[in-house]
Amino acid sequence: MAEKLSWTELRRILASRAGVSEKEANTFLTALNAEIVEALKTDKQVKINGLGIFKLQAVAPRKSVNVATGEAITIEGYNKVAFVPEAGVKELIERSGEPRTEDIIPDGNTAQPEADPIKKLGSQAEEIVDILGELGQSPKEEDKPEKVQEPEAVIEPEPIKEPEPVKEPEPVFYVPQSQQTQEPEPPKKKEKKHHFLRDTLICVVILLLLLLVGYFFLRSQLSDLIDSFLPDKTQTEQVAVATDSTAAAIPAPIESPTEEELTEEQILAEFLEASGETEEAETPSDEIYEDIIAIEPMHEASRLTWMSKRFYGTKAYWPYIYDANKDHISNPSKIDVGTPIRVPKLTEAQKDTTSAAYLQLLQEAEEACKK
Amino acid sequence: MLTKELISRIATATGLSKKQVEHLMSTSNAILRENLMAGKAVSLQGFGALEVKERAPRTIVHPRTGERTVSPGKNQLVFRPVDNLKEELKKI
Repeated sequence: MAEKLSWTELRRILASRAGVSEKEANTFLTALNAEIVEALKTDKQVKINGLGIFKLQAVAPRKSVNVATGEAITIEGYNKVAFVPEAGVKELIERSGEPRTEDIIPDGNTAQPEADPIKKLGSQAEEIVDILGELGQSPKEEDKPEKVQEPEAVIEPEPIKEPEPVKEPEPVFYVPQSQQTQEPEPPKKKEKKHHFLRDTLICVVILLLLLLVGYFFLRSQLSDLIDSFLPDKTQTEQVAVATDSTAAAIPAPIESPTEEELTEEQILAEFLEASGETEEAETPSDEIYEDIIAIEPMHEASRLTWMSKRFYGTKAYWPYIYDANKDHISNPSKIDVGTPIRVPKLTEAQKDTTSAAYLQLLQEAEEACKK
Repeated sequence: MLTKELISRIATATGLSKKQVEHLMSTSNAILRENLMAGKAVSLQGFGALEVKERAPRTIVHPRTGERTVSPGKNQLVFRPVDNLKEELKKI
């Protein structure tokens, strides 16, 4: 590196090789340099076959901090000359280092660096061990291989051990999670059978659960349906109670089907008997509402708004339902299950949601929710 | 700028024929290569110097596998412009 081919030397060698005078060689070389500089200024890039490319690269301005004052400063951008050697030249130069390593290390090692581009530490270490064995103990070599060997002992086991345990257990953990057997590599037939059995069991359990859920859902739906049919019966019942005591025999056969219905009917009947004629006369609701369409017990999953939707086709009329049941409901959002709810028949005037009466009722009902 | 254009420019500047310039250029490049490969730096007056720099071997880590390997050292061809040219080109 310390050696340098001077300008005069270059000129002399060029003159003798090309068969020209030193003067000519000098003019050529100065012209060459001048032209390269000129071309860099104009084109920002000069290609010289057999050597490489000279480029003028722009370095962008960047922000920095004045170390002494802590002040923020901007370092202005500038241009610099970069040289990219030709591919062949680059390779030649890269390999040209060996002669110099030869100077330091005795003969045995010279072939070594040429042969290894990038090898794993393990293989490198092996080679070094071999070479060491061959060479005996020359002090200069020992320095180098030791450096390489040390990291090998610490680092090498990591890449080999780590990936294996991670990769192997993964499929084992994944298989049970997925219901359908998604085995990338089915290991043995027995295991597969085992998985199949387990999967079918899981499937059966899931099916049973689904059936149960479906059953409960259908049951609640059915009872709802039955309830919606009930009001007619109860109304007739109501009339029957008022007019004829013997007519009470009519609802009896209808009540029979299920036990649940019986209890609901009983509650309704009790309620009617308790507040039947007297309440109708007393409560203000009767003054407003012409008729009661239906009376049905409160369900666990029911709301006044939903009942309104079911009977009137819109949720908006729920305050009327509340109003009709004010006497035994304090908070419309917290109604005990089984509480009988009267659904009043609405007049055309009441159905006007913009009327002052409706708005007042709505306000009242909403306030009642906050109780 | 490509080599051909450079040759024609040098030819007009020096009064030499294009063939001569081409010949001179190829021989000068050969001389440069030989010297650089021998580890010698070559100075080009008024322009700069081409040098060979040694890059020491180092351990590199594969970013994905975490595998550690030793990248062997190499020599790199480097161009160092003359100071006044460097300053001159900084602001263009």
